[in-house]
Amino acid sequence: MKPSIFQHIVARLMAIAIISMGFVQVSAAGVIGTQQMVNSEARQDQLAHIETLLARQDVASQLALYGVAPEMVMERVQNLTNAELAALEGKMDQQVAGGDILALIGAVFVVLLILELTGVIDIFKAK
Amino acid sequence: MSQAAGSPLAETIPRAGLVPALFAIALGGCALIPGGTPPEGIGTAAIELVDTPFFPQERYQCGPAALMTVLTDSGAQTSLDALVDQVYLPGRQGSLQAELVAATRAAGRIPYQLDGSMQAIRTELEAGRPVLVLQNLGVSWYERWHYAVVVGVNPEKSQVVLRSGTESRHVTDAQTFMRTWRRSDSWALIVLRPGELPTNPDQHRYYQALSALEETGHFSEARGGWQAALDRWPGDTVALFGMANAELALDNFPAAESLYRQLLTQNPSSPAVRNNLAHALARQGEKTEAVEQIGLALDSVLDDEQMRLELEDSLREIQGGGDH
Repeated sequence: MKPSIFQHIVARLMAIAIISMGFVQVSAAGVIGTQQMVNSEARQDQLAHIETLLARQDVASQLALYGVAPEMVMERVQNLTNAELAALEGKMDQQVAGGDILALIGAVFVVLLILELTGVIDIFKAK
Repeated sequence: MSQAAGSPLAETIPRAGLVPALFAIALGGCALIPGGTPPEGIGTAAIELVDTPFFPQERYQCGPAALMTVLTDSGAQTSLDALVDQVYLPGRQGSLQAELVAATRAAGRIPYQLDGSMQAIRTELEAGRPVLVLQNLGVSWYERWHYAVVVGVNPEKSQVVLRSGTESRHVTDAQTFMRTWRRSDSWALIVLRPGELPTNPDQHRYYQALSALEETGHFSEARGGWQAALDRWPGDTVALFGMANAELALDNFPAAESLYRQLLTQNPSSPAVRNNLAHALARQGEKTEAVEQIGLALDSVLDDEQMRLELEDSLREIQGGGDH
């Protein structure tokens, strides 16, 4: 399913609205987070701060676009770290999404059956 | 995996010939070629966590179901409906790994990724922890990404036992499992209660997991994690700093202060520690000493412009009295 331009605009506006409601200020202003000591390269400079905000907005709008309820978008984004947000930014469509098996069509089925029997794949129920 | 996949599948089978026969064999669970040598690290004795709960998945929702299994097993209070809201992505008909990790934090647990070896799975099973895995059950041109939970291995029969989809006990050939799992770069996750350590913790990866809890505002869980780290690695600098930061965020200012001071005795030249100590002092009304600490820190960062900016921010914050 390909979202329409209209859906894109709505999702983007919604994300901006959600973000401007403000996220919970996680740590007190000025306190240096442990991440800086765990990863010395993880410096939070001014630029990184803006990038984080943009990544947050982008991920929020992608979540909305993929059908996540508006009231859940903020909560879901809130539990992602800056590094995770950066990894998802603009790439949510390329991320692996674990779901399950769809209905199979004839020819594909035969090939898959052979692959199953040779242990390459593990699609069919073992009962 | 899903019930929904079963019926349309059956309708596509030609009525006569070889295919139904093959189909019967497949449904009989008897793979022709799999078998042979068990994967490295699977151990010698069979092990199975029979008490691990099972939550059969709804269509496309193996992510929430598998996560529910490991979270419930670790005693977290959550529900399948809540997890569907937190991790299911309707437009993708699936769930992303990052969101399973994030939802684990939301449930007050520490998401810790294993190193991707069968040995690591085995070791965690021995500690009584089921392992959440991502598999591609199909092939590259027919991808079927699927989350399941490993609850047992049987080295003698070269088998892996999973809570998977709608099957409470899916027994699969261990080499087939390895192949389907490797396609996700052998992604495997355990969920830890705060205070619980993985059996063979990779210190850096564990610290990353705790720092992520802090970053997302789960301070008391982070504190439990850092405490366990300090029990394991007494006096470790990063763990002390993490612990102090958790105490500070939880408004336990005297506890935070004493941990920062302990760190300064080990490492007097750390501007980050002095910066945070200043905040702990300021929050207790010790403004004069807080400003002094920032001054000492500023003296030591002549060449670090970024740290200097942060310290100056802190100074303004402290002098403005609006440190919150």
